[in-house]
Amino acid sequence: MTIRNVRDHGQRYRPRMACLKKLEAVVLEMQDPKTGVKSQTQRLVITTIPHAITGEDIVEWIANRFKVGAAGNMSVFLLLLLITTSLIPFLLQTPYFWPAQQWPVEDTDYAIYLAKRNIRKKGMLELHEQEQYNNLHKWMNHKWDFIVMQAKEQYRAGKERKKPDRVVFDCQERAYWVVHRPPPGTISGMDYGLERLVDPNLEEKQSSDHYRRIIIFTQQCIMRPRVKSSVSIGALVKYSTTYKQHDPFLYPCLPSNPWLTDDVTYWQLNMQNIENPTKMRVERWTFSFGELLSDPRGRDDFRLFLKKEFSGENLAFWEACEDLKWGTAATMKEKAQQIYKTFLARGAPRWINIDGKTMEITVKGLSHPHRYVLDAAQTHIYMLMKKDSYGRYLKSPVFKETQKKAVVPEPHNFSDSQLEQNAKKRRPSLSPIILRQQEEEQKAKLAASGPVDITQVMSKLAQKKGTEHRT
Amino acid sequence: MNRWKRSVGEIQARRRQVSECEQAQAALSKVTACFQQIATCIGSNTDGSSLREELEDTRALAYRICTGMHRRLLGLLAETEQVQEDREQVERMWVLFLCALENFQQNLRKVSVLQESFPLGQRRDRRALVNSGATGGGSEVAGRAATVQMPWVTAEGEQKPDLKIHIQEIDDLLQEMLQRVNIPLWSVESTQDAWAEVCKELQEEDTLDDLMEVEVVSQDGKASGCCSHSNCRLGCIFCLLN
Repeated sequence: MTIRNVRDHGQRYRPRMACLKKLEAVVLEMQDPKTGVKSQTQRLVITTIPHAITGEDIVEWIANRFKVGAAGNMSVFLLLLLITTSLIPFLLQTPYFWPAQQWPVEDTDYAIYLAKRNIRKKGMLELHEQEQYNNLHKWMNHKWDFIVMQAKEQYRAGKERKKPDRVVFDCQERAYWVVHRPPPGTISGMDYGLERLVDPNLEEKQSSDHYRRIIIFTQQCIMRPRVKSSVSIGALVKYSTTYKQHDPFLYPCLPSNPWLTDDVTYWQLNMQNIENPTKMRVERWTFSFGELLSDPRGRDDFRLFLKKEFSGENLAFWEACEDLKWGTAATMKEKAQQIYKTFLARGAPRWINIDGKTMEITVKGLSHPHRYVLDAAQTHIYMLMKKDSYGRYLKSPVFKETQKKAVVPEPHNFSDSQLEQNAKKRRPSLSPIILRQQEEEQKAKLAASGPVDITQVMSKLAQKKGTEHRT
Repeated sequence: MNRWKRSVGEIQARRRQVSECEQAQAALSKVTACFQQIATCIGSNTDGSSLREELEDTRALAYRICTGMHRRLLGLLAETEQVQEDREQVERMWVLFLCALENFQQNLRKVSVLQESFPLGQRRDRRALVNSGATGGGSEVAGRAATVQMPWVTAEGEQKPDLKIHIQEIDDLLQEMLQRVNIPLWSVESTQDAWAEVCKELQEEDTLDDLMEVEVVSQDGKASGCCSHSNCRLGCIFCLLN
């Protein structure tokens, strides 16, 4: 009756889960009485808690167990053990709360936990907990009586246990929920990367299929074309030097990286249809023709330039081919025919200039149109634009104007409290439906503003000449 | 006589049944909460055959309450002549019973997996148990569960099924319940407002936060405070609680 999410947050083969499984094994080793970490009894104000382990001991034990040097791969464990030289005690969580278990984390349980905490803390929950509570109360209203009843009963059942056990249990439960429902602004410990289709911890059976796969893999490795390392390294170096200032990992992006400061000015300044792009963006267009075309604002600028030069049909043809390549299969035939009529046929309104051989191949292919039938022509036109128009564009007044008007935003300098404010004000961006509608509107506007129709222009010129002659 | 007029006896009997079901709901909550508390001990150093036995007993009790309640609720819902406020109450109980069953089934699944990963058959398996810092078992909690009194629990002595079969049975039961009775879940409103449980619960004199202050045994005169908070004398792990 509870709607189960299709997305499996049980994290079967995600990289995080593989690490956690290994960690579980390590933890089990850690508490072996003979070879494990030495534990001691932790004194609290009123009670004592056994089996506490200090951070130092854990680090020492791990160093011995995995034979890592002192300065070795401690970075992984530093994430877990925040202060390595401290005497702060740690406890191992009971397996009920271990994240490597495959069951999903339910909102019902979280609601029960929040209600229990509410009772214990007499209503003093943290801000994000309060928000979650109100949310859950709204969405789980039909279950709410059950949730409150269960929370009360769990609270009373918990009271039956001895005081130190209660303390321990509460700690562990709290840790569990901090991991699975992290407070805003913190990094979630359960964030995982790409999904994996195969469980990396499984031992693969040595069957004939397995060997066949390995054979094919190694054969392909041998057959791969090889490039001298000096050449490939040279290419990498060139790429790095060109793009390094544009990499947000290496250089700060102006005004500020939204992922770090939760401030979305950067994205707003770099939107598709913005009037004045940023200087960095304009600089990117000078790197290569591909960059110019792939940036929508760059493409707009280029289109404007071509319109002034009356060679807009090249870009239009290229865009139409892209549309054909990536469009729906149902409309492909009509699109191909439309493109032929508009660009390729003799006397077409926007005739493009491609060489005879390519034209022959294309026309032949159009009798049986498929997605890539215009590939040859598209490549030809692309090369044409790249070698010819692109160079002229970079020297044109259109581009110079855009460069002059490009903005350089001031870098932000947020204080800690401002960062918190930003984190709270996080909102989802425009829905993709709205973005698509905007794109469609733009396309319609472009089509309406009218491409330069060569035949019409020619006929108009001819008419003018005619009238001039007459007068 | 008016055929919709029901006899006083009938009305009283129905009211009694409804209140019985409400008590059963409360009892089920109690037992499942205790079950969950005991389940958290599985795999830890307090685990043992006695704990698992207590777990089984609690499960059997829950099973008996569930089956009895299921039958009675079905009976209440099946009656065609319904008074309005009665119907709402019974529907609410039905939905809450569904929730309780689901929650219980989840705990059962967890227990099943945990029992498989931490079997107690052999002596050396005890070394695999995690030292989680608890000392007592769930015996006090189990005792609380055992105090539940329901009229039909002792009378109908059905045999409790095996754990896996139990999980499967609840699955089938839930399916059947959803298909058989057509009660839209969203039509049930909660009787409690948000934040209402705060005032109602009895508070204990000393809060757990005081309990959790770590005595900072300063070595070499260094006091280890973990965060910038001025009052924070707590060790880092416990600071999560504030």
